[in-house]
Amino acid sequence: MKLRVPRRNTRAVVAMAFVLVGLAVAGSGASAPKQAPSGDPIVIGSTLSLTGSFGATGVIHKAAGETFVRWINANGGLLGRPVEWKLLNDESDPAKVTALYERLISQDRVDLIMGPYATPNIVAAQSVAERHGYVLPNHTAVLTYALTYGCQFPTWSAGGKPNLSVPQTVFRMLKTQGTPPKRVAFVTNTGGSTNFISYGPPSSNEGGAVDWARKQGFDVVLDLKYPPTVSDWGSIAAQVRAARPDFVWNSGLALDPVNLIQAMEQLNYRPKQFLTLFPAPGPLLGLGDAAEGVLSLTLFEPNGKLLKKMGTKAQTIVRQFAQSAAANGLGYRVFDSQATASWTAWETLAAGVRGARSLDNDQVCEYLQENGVDTTFVGKLRFNPALHNFSRPRNLVKQIQERRWKVVWPPALRVTKVQETAG
Amino acid sequence: MNTYVQAGVSGVMTGGLYAVMALGLSLTWGLLKVINLAHFALILGSAYVTYQVTTSTGADPLLSALIVVPGMFVVGVAIQWVIDRFQVDEFNSLLLSFGLFIIAIQLINNIWSADFRQIEAAENPYATRALFVGDIAFPVPQLIALGTALVLAVVTYYVLRHTYFGRALRALAYDREIAGAYGVDHRRIGMLTAGLAAAMAAVAGVLIGINQAVFPELASEWVGIVFTVVILGGVGNLPGAVAAGILIGLVYSQVSVAWEPLGAPLVVFLLLILALLFRPSGLFGRLGGS
Repeated sequence: MKLRVPRRNTRAVVAMAFVLVGLAVAGSGASAPKQAPSGDPIVIGSTLSLTGSFGATGVIHKAAGETFVRWINANGGLLGRPVEWKLLNDESDPAKVTALYERLISQDRVDLIMGPYATPNIVAAQSVAERHGYVLPNHTAVLTYALTYGCQFPTWSAGGKPNLSVPQTVFRMLKTQGTPPKRVAFVTNTGGSTNFISYGPPSSNEGGAVDWARKQGFDVVLDLKYPPTVSDWGSIAAQVRAARPDFVWNSGLALDPVNLIQAMEQLNYRPKQFLTLFPAPGPLLGLGDAAEGVLSLTLFEPNGKLLKKMGTKAQTIVRQFAQSAAANGLGYRVFDSQATASWTAWETLAAGVRGARSLDNDQVCEYLQENGVDTTFVGKLRFNPALHNFSRPRNLVKQIQERRWKVVWPPALRVTKVQETAG
Repeated sequence: MNTYVQAGVSGVMTGGLYAVMALGLSLTWGLLKVINLAHFALILGSAYVTYQVTTSTGADPLLSALIVVPGMFVVGVAIQWVIDRFQVDEFNSLLLSFGLFIIAIQLINNIWSADFRQIEAAENPYATRALFVGDIAFPVPQLIALGTALVLAVVTYYVLRHTYFGRALRALAYDREIAGAYGVDHRRIGMLTAGLAAAMAAVAGVLIGINQAVFPELASEWVGIVFTVVILGGVGNLPGAVAAGILIGLVYSQVSVAWEPLGAPLVVFLLLILALLFRPSGLFGRLGGS
């Protein structure tokens, strides 16, 4: 028996199919193309350290910023207008930061500004932003006590007192372990941010990680400070080995943990656990087995399961960042802490403008203080004016496991459990 | 006690690395009257090439010396040709080579970006290795550096003392015109010496490449300590440079343990100031080897 479909019904089926396909596409998040931005561009000015001592990380922020600007322009722009990023190289020099932000605002008359990279530069930019009443979103400010301008919006989510919130997170995690460490060695770079986390703000009894460890009953067997440039890591490694800690806390920057771990390996010594604050993540992975089990802090890691759960937008951003990182010559192209902080700062600025429906910096500032911002990677950020807009701390701990960084703390956000023994 | 001994060994070994970096600088400053700041860029450039060759080919990183040493020799010759051609004096050589240094660092930045570059552990059999005598570790990269420094210093000392080239070079250092009157070709000798100094920079670069991650700003971090080695060792005195490197490494490490690492640079540079005040020609004398 043949099934005959009346012609009228065929048309109806085809029409229904179009509707269903349309609904499916809409439901999958692949929304219809946004209207292309038009009109004069909104110019956002900033500096980054593309050369000099902060250069290696400054390039990550350049890649993240470029990814964001491309993203926002592909998605309708800001207030319907295209966004243009005027980026200058501050050469890692705070004096140049001040002069260049002055130029961006006074001469180039940019509509908005974005913060530079690294705390000393952000502090330098803050004075110019405050003088001109510009909103200053910034991605990586750690010296919270030095950032007091009412319209600066930090997106490094360690809270207003990272000297307390960071050790609180780490030692809480350690105490949940089957065999928590007892003997802790602190090895601290005396550069501003790392020194602050270890010892707290100057002229204050607040203290930092070292005091916190003692108060929590850990035995601090070594408390060693080193200058930002170290010529001989061997002598530091020898002292760590002699102290026999089962947990090494390295308040270190960039290559510090790489050099320290390498020097300890040369002495045939590997502590049970090793944490470092602000490492260059790629070179640590390059150490191979020697860095297995190393812990650090993060805002976000694009770990498979977590990223999948976050949906298409986050996955696309992570992928586009990797392309931009490659174009900028970066060896490590993973969208991790630095890129997240950068992306969040850009999102904050865009949300402020959209919320205020204006480029007026006062209105943008007011909007952000009142409403905060919903971010893609770190959730809702609420800026507390009483704490100079620092939001609630959100410290994640990550660990190198099988040569990849994986979030291991807090339990609600981790993708795997912490390994208690290195190597 | 063990900590002091271990730190001392590490310090001496690290001093060897400073010495390798200082040898070429001392040679050109002492004998050609050229204070070559570009020397640091040559070291860094060699470290980057070592990284590139190793990661691209998977070859042993030390083999990259086969490329960088002759390559840098040619660069050294070219720099000296410019200095000779324009009759650049000692002070102006500092300014000229500073300009070259800045250009070279920017070139490195453009080629490899400001990101950190490191030969991964899987391709670098040296980075975390050490030889042991009892509990005391002798890290392999620094051990190679110290050995290289000693060999280069002894060979150069011999060449300066016992060959025509060495005698001609010393004669030039003392009085260029008189040496010229005796038939010494200052251009050829100068370019050869500068080439050798640059080749030494290349060797230092290879040793840096197997020892640590590199980044453009790294070269600036070496300037203070390497100049201290050259000045304490006596400008132009290569065995003196090795001795000064070892001494500085030792002092640095012992201060790190007895006081703390934060105090080590303070003591080292205090030592430099005292040496300049009381022994302005260095602890071992200028051109002492010649």
